[in-house]
Amino acid sequence: MDSSNQSPPPIANLELKARLLILLLVLLLLGSVVYVLVARGAFERTQQLVLVADDSEGIVVGMDLTFSGFPIGRVGRIELSADGNARILVDVPRKDAHWLRTSSVFTMESGLVGGTRIRAFSGMLTDPPLPDGAIRRVLRGDAKAEIPLMVASVRELVSNLSALTGPDAPLNGSLRNVQTATEKLNGPSGGLGLLFGNEADARKIITTLDRTNALLARLDALALKADGVASRTDALIANADKQVFGPTGVLGDAQATVIQLNGLLADARNSLRKVDAVLQEAQAIGANTREATNDLGALRAEVEGSLRKVEHLVNEINRKWPFARDAELKLP
Amino acid sequence: MAPIPPISASTSRWAREWTGWVRGWWQIIHVGAQILVLAMSPSSYRKSQRIVMARNIYLATAPLLPGFTVLSALISLIIIRIVIATTLTYGLSQYALELLIRTLVLELLPLSVALFVAVRYTMPQGKNVRDMRSRGEFEALWRAGGDPARDELLPRVGASVFAVVLLAAVSCFVALALTYLNVYGFRTWGAAAYTRSVGQVFSPVVTLIFCLKTLFFSLAVSLIPIVFNPPKEEGDFKGMNVEIKVLARLFAVILLIEVVSLVGNYY
Repeated sequence: MDSSNQSPPPIANLELKARLLILLLVLLLLGSVVYVLVARGAFERTQQLVLVADDSEGIVVGMDLTFSGFPIGRVGRIELSADGNARILVDVPRKDAHWLRTSSVFTMESGLVGGTRIRAFSGMLTDPPLPDGAIRRVLRGDAKAEIPLMVASVRELVSNLSALTGPDAPLNGSLRNVQTATEKLNGPSGGLGLLFGNEADARKIITTLDRTNALLARLDALALKADGVASRTDALIANADKQVFGPTGVLGDAQATVIQLNGLLADARNSLRKVDAVLQEAQAIGANTREATNDLGALRAEVEGSLRKVEHLVNEINRKWPFARDAELKLP
Repeated sequence: MAPIPPISASTSRWAREWTGWVRGWWQIIHVGAQILVLAMSPSSYRKSQRIVMARNIYLATAPLLPGFTVLSALISLIIIRIVIATTLTYGLSQYALELLIRTLVLELLPLSVALFVAVRYTMPQGKNVRDMRSRGEFEALWRAGGDPARDELLPRVGASVFAVVLLAAVSCFVALALTYLNVYGFRTWGAAAYTRSVGQVFSPVVTLIFCLKTLFFSLAVSLIPIVFNPPKEEGDFKGMNVEIKVLARLFAVILLIEVVSLVGNYY
């Protein structure tokens, strides 16, 4: 008997279990929808930033605008402007918009690996915040664009290398010369033969060296003699030292003489002090003499005055007395 | 050595096979369309039908759910570890999340779910249906006033679609959670960045393609094994197992859906 002809085995709480499964599916589907909407930023309050680029290659809707490696915005739309530039409309959530300032710089970079990235750089976070709908030009850096230039350079380098390493290349000739030089170095004349090119000149150098050696030997003997002279000079200096600086040397006598001179100078200083006192007294005598001279002047004036008075008196007496003579002269 | 058949005989056999191949696809499309129309008809959800539908939903989903959840978690974990370790090695860890979401959630898990439900539920149910047909139970049901498409096929197809969608949703949820745990650990600080990465992958077009792919997977897995009833054949393919034929057609359709979704996603 086939199993389909039999009545199926009853399942406890079948409808409840089926409802639970349906509920689970509905919850998962609703949760997925809400999660994707949240992940796409459907519930975020955003402001718009318009980036203008000459080429929008690599830019796709939904890609991030990053600041310090953190996504702070999302490309919402790309359009071609009337002047032929690409306008990249970026939705920046309000909560992240404070990272963008009026002085912010925006770059669009295409690396060798991975897609194009849009970055924001805000050097001065104290500048005013970027307004809603601001339009900024984006700086473009494309590593892939460098590849053709690099390939051309590499090709040129390879051709240069080929030219350098060719059979008629200067480098090859230089290497042959080096080989010849190495052979000469290993030859009987060695490095001197390499330097002078022929054996005669190399032999001259060797002769010169021999002579130089002989000259140096003679210089050694001369130096020995100079040593003897120097030792005698040392003895002479020692004797002179003894004569001058010894206990009975000239320097001791000179020191005693200096001491005596010091004593003489002290005596002379005392004598001079006494002479000073005598001079002071002489000055005082001079002063007294000057005063006396002045008094003599006054006295003389008084005497002269008294004499004039006496003379006047005598004249008066002569005039008044009978025996006064006629003193008047009579002319014929 | 077997005698070489005459040209006219081989041509007629080739024409017969070709006709049978086309007829088989037409049968799938025709009956599948009838079942879809029935699925959208309110009369299919009467109380008696609801009990049958609930029973099939439970039988199609409940036995598969724990096993497939564990299996998908293990496979996801292995793939997550491989991808994260590889991207870290090559200094491309910033692309790990997107890569994982795209490979696991968008591609591998829906495909795995479809094949798992096909092997574990719809192909056995298809065999049951073919046995019922061969025993004449469908004619008996007609004569009793029932509708085999409504009473026998629709609950099975609906349950299969439900199972595929539910298992896909659960396994995707588990894969997303495991990816987060592997990247950020048991911490919540990376939730915003992770959500943003998920949002970047699930653009409107990708989301639509993902939903359509899952839906068409579920329809293919449900309709082809249950509806397809290959005729008795003569010739070289006489001994070929019917299940293999069903599986071949199912694989072809799944492959086609997958290729179309890949073209839609990446071209």
